Amino acid sequence: MSAALPEGSKPFQFTGTANEWFGIWIVNLMLSIVTIGVYSAWAKVRTKKYFYNHTFVEGRNFDYHATGGQIFKGRLIVIAALIVYQVLLTAVPPLGLLLSLALLLAFPWLILRSMMFNARMSSFSNVRFGFDGTTGQAMLLMLVYPIGVLLTLYTTFPILDRAFKRFSIAHARLGGARFAAEFPLGAFYKAFAVAILWVIAVTFGGAALFGISVASFGMAAQNAQADPMAIMRLIGLAYVLFFAALLPAAFIYQAMTRNVVYNNTVLEGGHRLASAVSAPMLLWIALSNTIVVVCTLFLMLPWAQVRLARYLAAHTGYSLGGTLDDFVSQAQTTGNAVGDAFADFEGMGAGLPM
Amino acid sequence: MSYGQTQHVVRGAAYGAGASRRVEAQLSVAAEWAELRDMSGAILARAPRRLLQFDAPLGTAPRKVSFPDGALFETNDHAGFVAMTGQTTGAALHEYEAFGPRLIGVVLACVAAAWAIWRYGLDILAALAIAATPPAVIAQMDRGSLQVVDTTMAEQSTLSAAERAQVEDVFNRLTAALPEDIRADHSFTLLFRNMPGLGPNAFALPGGTMVMTDDFVKEFPDPDIIAGVLGHEMGHVVDQHGLYRLYRSVGSAVLIAFLAGDVGPILDDIVLEGNVLLSLSHSRAQEREADTFGLQLAAAAGYDPAGLAVFFQRIAEDYGGQEGMEWLFTHPLSQDRLQDIQTFIDSLPQNP
Repeated sequence: MSAALPEGSKPFQFTGTANEWFGIWIVNLMLSIVTIGVYSAWAKVRTKKYFYNHTFVEGRNFDYHATGGQIFKGRLIVIAALIVYQVLLTAVPPLGLLLSLALLLAFPWLILRSMMFNARMSSFSNVRFGFDGTTGQAMLLMLVYPIGVLLTLYTTFPILDRAFKRFSIAHARLGGARFAAEFPLGAFYKAFAVAILWVIAVTFGGAALFGISVASFGMAAQNAQADPMAIMRLIGLAYVLFFAALLPAAFIYQAMTRNVVYNNTVLEGGHRLASAVSAPMLLWIALSNTIVVVCTLFLMLPWAQVRLARYLAAHTGYSLGGTLDDFVSQAQTTGNAVGDAFADFEGMGAGLPM
Repeated sequence: MSYGQTQHVVRGAAYGAGASRRVEAQLSVAAEWAELRDMSGAILARAPRRLLQFDAPLGTAPRKVSFPDGALFETNDHAGFVAMTGQTTGAALHEYEAFGPRLIGVVLACVAAAWAIWRYGLDILAALAIAATPPAVIAQMDRGSLQVVDTTMAEQSTLSAAERAQVEDVFNRLTAALPEDIRADHSFTLLFRNMPGLGPNAFALPGGTMVMTDDFVKEFPDPDIIAGVLGHEMGHVVDQHGLYRLYRSVGSAVLIAFLAGDVGPILDDIVLEGNVLLSLSHSRAQEREADTFGLQLAAAAGYDPAGLAVFFQRIAEDYGGQEGMEWLFTHPLSQDRLQDIQTFIDSLPQNP
C-alpha cells in the first residue's frame, strides 16, 4: 500500500473537469430519456471517449473508436436473443436445461469477444490496441478455474484472480507490441491474507470494545421471534460488519493487487507501468462520493467520476524505455459489439484495466 | 508554397496512418482542398476537403481530423480550428453541452423526466412486462418462492383437521364470491405452514398461492377476521402487486445503469440493493387497494367487513407486547387506513 510511485516514473495525467463533464453527461442523460434509451448507445461512446481523450501519457492521449451504431446493434441483438431465450424457455420447458448449458458455454466466448472489441476500439497515440486470448483459455478461466475455487472453499481465489488479470494483460497489445505480465503469486496471497486479517481484527476488536461477538450475533438470529428489537440489532450489526470489516477488506485487496499488477507490467520496448493507489484513500473517495451523489440526487455524479479518474491517473505511473514513436497498428480480429453489449448487460466492464 | 492561398493555418501534431510517430505539424483547410505539412513546410498529406473525416468536438479534448490515407492531425487550438473549418458535424451538440446557465433547463428537464419515469413510466413498463409474462412463468415463481420459504423458515403445519376445515370453509366461500372475470383469470390455493419466525401472518405469492401460518389460525379463529385477511391477500394477487414491485425494482436498476452509466464503487451496490429493499416494503397505495378488494369480497361472501379492522386494532394493541410486529413491518398500519375501512363499512347498504 505504498503511497508514492517508484523513483523515475511519472504519473498519468487526467485533464477532464467536473464542469465540462457535467454538461456532456446531463445532455447524454436528457437525450437518452427523450429517445427512450436509444441514445444511450451513443452516450456510452461519448462517455468513454471523454475519459480516454482526457487521459495523457507523455502528451499523447487515448481514444475510443466504436460508433454508437455498432453499440446499438449489439444491444438489439442481445435483447432479441434474451427474448427468444425466454420464449423458448416458456414454450418448451424441457429445453431449459439445454439452453442454460448453451448459455453457460457461450459465456466465456462472449466475454472474450467483448475484450477483443474493447481493445480494438481503443487507441493510444494513434495506434490501436489488440487482444489475442483464445476461446480455450477463456473457457478454462471462466468455467474450470471457478469450479476449482469453489471446491477449495475459496482458498485458491488469489490463483484465479491472478490468472484472470494475467490473461487480460498478457494477451493485450499496443499495435504489435506485447505486454509482459508476470505477477508474483505470493503478492496476491499477501493481499488476500491482509484483507482476511482485517476482517478478523475488526470482528475481534469490535467484540472487545462493544461486547459484540459472533455468538451474540447468532443468538440474536435465534431469538428474533421472541424479541423484535433483536431484529433491529441484527440488521444494525450486519451493517456495522459490512462497513467496518467487509468493505474495507475488499478495498484493501483491490488496491494491493492493482499495485502488484501495474508494477509488474512492461510494454515491449521497456516501457514500465506502475501503480501506488492506497486502500484508505480509495475507500474514502468511494464513500464520500457515494454520500455526495445520493445527497444531490445524482447531480454530482459527474464530479464524483472525475474525482476518481483524477486520483487513479495521478497514482498510475510509467517510465519509458525509449521512444513512443515506434508503435504501429496491426490488422487483426476485432471481436464484436454483441459480446460488448452482453458484458454491459452482465454488468462486467471488460475494457482496459484503468 | 506551391498550392493556392490558404487563409488559415492551425498548428498541432500529425501521425502517419496507424503509427504512433508524432511530429509537429500545421493544417490548412480551404474551401476545396486540405493540406497537412510539417514545420519545414513539406507536405505530409493532401486531400479534397470533402474526403476528410472530422471527429465531433467533445469538450476540451483535442480536435482530430483524419485524411483518406489514414494520416491524423490533432490540435488543442479549438478557436483557430473552428475559425478555419467552420462548423462541422456534432458542433450543435457540442455547443449544447457547454457548461452554462442553459444547462439549468436541461437539469430541470432531467429531474422532471426522472420523476415522471419513477411515478408513471416504471408502472407502465411493469404493466407491459406483466402482460408479457406467461402464466406458466408466474406459476413457476410461486413454486420457486414456496420452495425457498419451505427450506428456510417453514415447517409442516401442526393444525388439526378441524382447524384447517374452518379456514378452508372461509376460503371456499370467498373464492365462490369472486366476480366471474377474476375467477377465469386467477386460481387460488391455500396452504398452511408452521412459521414460528413470522408470528400470526398470511401472505400471497403472485400466482395465487396463499400461505397462512399456524399462529394466525390459533390466535384469530374468528371467520370474519380470516375472511378480511384472506380477501386482502387475494386483492394483492388480483392486482398483481408482487409482480409490480419485482418489475419496478428490476426496471429502475436497469434504467439507472443505462441512463446514468457506471456509477462507481459502493454506489452501484447501493443502487441494486436499495431497489430490492424498496421493493420489499409495500406501498401504501397497494395496501389500500388490497384493503378495498378484501372488504368488498368479504362483504359479498357474507362476512362482517369489520373483521379486518378488528384484526388491525388487535395487532396494534399487541404491538407493545412484541408479537405481531412482523405483520406491521410488511403491512404498515396507519390511522388513515382504519378510517378508510370505516368509511367503506359505512358506505355499505345496511343489511337487516
